[in-house]
Amino acid sequence: MSEFEPRIVGFLCNWCTYAGADLAGTSRIQYPPNMKPIRVMCSAAVDSVYIVRALMEGADGVFIGGCHPGDCHYVSGNYKTRRRMVLFNSIMRSLGLDQERVLLRWISAAEGKKFADTITEFTEKLRKKGPSPFKTLWEV
Amino acid sequence: MSTEEQKSRSAEEEGRMIIRPYKLKVEGGNPVETVKAVCARWLKEGVLNAVMMPAFSRNGVAAPVLFSDPEAIRDSGVPFLPAMGVNTASVVDEIAFNPAPGVKVGVFLRPCEARAVVELVKLQQVVLDGLVLIGVDCPGTYRALDFFEVAGSDATSFVNRFLQEQDRYLAENRFRTACTMCEFPTPLVFDLHIGFLGMNPSEALWVAVGSEKGAELLKGLNIEVMQEPESRQKFIEELRTKRQMRAEEQIKELDKKALGPENLVRYFAACLNCHNCMKVCPVCYCRECFFESEALERDLDEVVRISRHKGQTRMPQGTLLFHITRMNHMMTSCVQCGICEDSCPVKIGLSVLFKKVSRNAQKEFDYLSGRSLDEPLPLVTFREDEFRTIGE
Ligand code: SF4
Ligand code: SF4
Ligand code: SF4
Repeated sequence: MSEFEPRIVGFLCNWCTYAGADLAGTSRIQYPPNMKPIRVMCSAAVDSVYIVRALMEGADGVFIGGCHPGDCHYVSGNYKTRRRMVLFNSIMRSLGLDQERVLLRWISAAEGKKFADTITEFTEKLRKKGPSPFKTLWEV
Repeated sequence: MSTEEQKSRSAEEEGRMIIRPYKLKVEGGNPVETVKAVCARWLKEGVLNAVMMPAFSRNGVAAPVLFSDPEAIRDSGVPFLPAMGVNTASVVDEIAFNPAPGVKVGVFLRPCEARAVVELVKLQQVVLDGLVLIGVDCPGTYRALDFFEVAGSDATSFVNRFLQEQDRYLAENRFRTACTMCEFPTPLVFDLHIGFLGMNPSEALWVAVGSEKGAELLKGLNIEVMQEPESRQKFIEELRTKRQMRAEEQIKELDKKALGPENLVRYFAACLNCHNCMKVCPVCYCRECFFESEALERDLDEVVRISRHKGQTRMPQGTLLFHITRMNHMMTSCVQCGICEDSCPVKIGLSVLFKKVSRNAQKEFDYLSGRSLDEPLPLVTFREDEFRTIGE
């Protein structure tokens, strides 16, 4: 049997994390290819619907990368992302769902290494957790 | 504010409103007629151009009604009607988007409805200029259909009985599920508040003024200052405690049934994706909902691809997506009125679910929906130094 390979949907902020991912690439830092990146203009542009939809339709994890607090290109987008994440986590907990399948990290354009490490760790974590239960729940 | 008055407000309300307490003498032992007479007078004297309050018609319609004729209000208005088919805030949302100069409408609101109006103001869906919020005590409401059974055809005498025998009706507990868990039997924000809980309403009603607008309404009426009776405070405290306990019990039951992916799917298994729960929700305000937009339309190849991934896929898709996303969009403003559950054709237990989810969510931000007009919505504000562990 082949080993379980997690699928991760990544939402990367255009101004930092996407550039950070680019840097990881140009610096030839190795990290697992499990994440499919989607470039967004700000982490605050990631409405919860996209996170939930990815999870319901078979992603094992969702990664959201934004600029460090204080560095948002749109001044306060990431502070709002942070609040939304608090809300999201609270709802997941209230419903008995695994909030660890969604990860938010602040990664700047200069942090190629942090980007690679984050994706490596997240992939490892999801490998251990196994497939998302929603993957097989065709009724959702 | 005197210390007595301060004590009389619960912790949630403390220091947020200036409250002046009065006594409204009840004529002929009939609180319903007394309040209607006051409203008729407001209309006659032009203090208000219209009054919205629950009504019960000979044809069996129980709904909020906008009265502009003093005679009509005496005919079919029923203040304190313990039947709820819609949350009045969603009606206010329809009419108070664009205020007209010089038009003033007094709106009777139960506590959950008043809280929803407050949220809608903050969501910029309601403009208060033309409104006078008349909050009323609420020991619980029946589903409109159950009400006909309980009350018969003479709503006024039923409501008078209901007010006089509060304990009996509370003990019977045939109220809507949300009401059996409701922690706020008195309105938190109001211009004028008319109360009867824990009092003998055939003698007097308790009136509190929360703003200058509210004070205007009392001009020329025969009222005297009266501190909030202790019996009333005690009654309300006990009711709150009972309801909180009831809420905990029901949440415990919910947790046995609904937690985790499998159980959650089962909890929503019968969902038709009809979106009724969303349409009747007072705080679900978007005029164009994402879930009814083209964004969710799918091409054939997309649906087939999803089916191929899972081997099969339920149609229509996205019931859980809808519910979890709606929670993400609305839980900070949910007022736990439970109208969503009443509107659900397949009777999914939304009241207790939203009770739990919204309460937990609001706690994260030290927020209580509808508590105050000055508290910003949790998702439009932030502090730089909060939630440091998230994202790092
Ligand atoms: S939820 Fe509370 S305020 Fe609303 S109708 Fe029920 S008891 Fe009254
Ligand atoms: S979600 Fe349900 S309980 Fe909450 S405000 Fe909307 S209708 Fe009321
Ligand atoms: S009203 Fe009931 S059936 Fe309709 S969408 Fe809501 S939960 Fe589903």
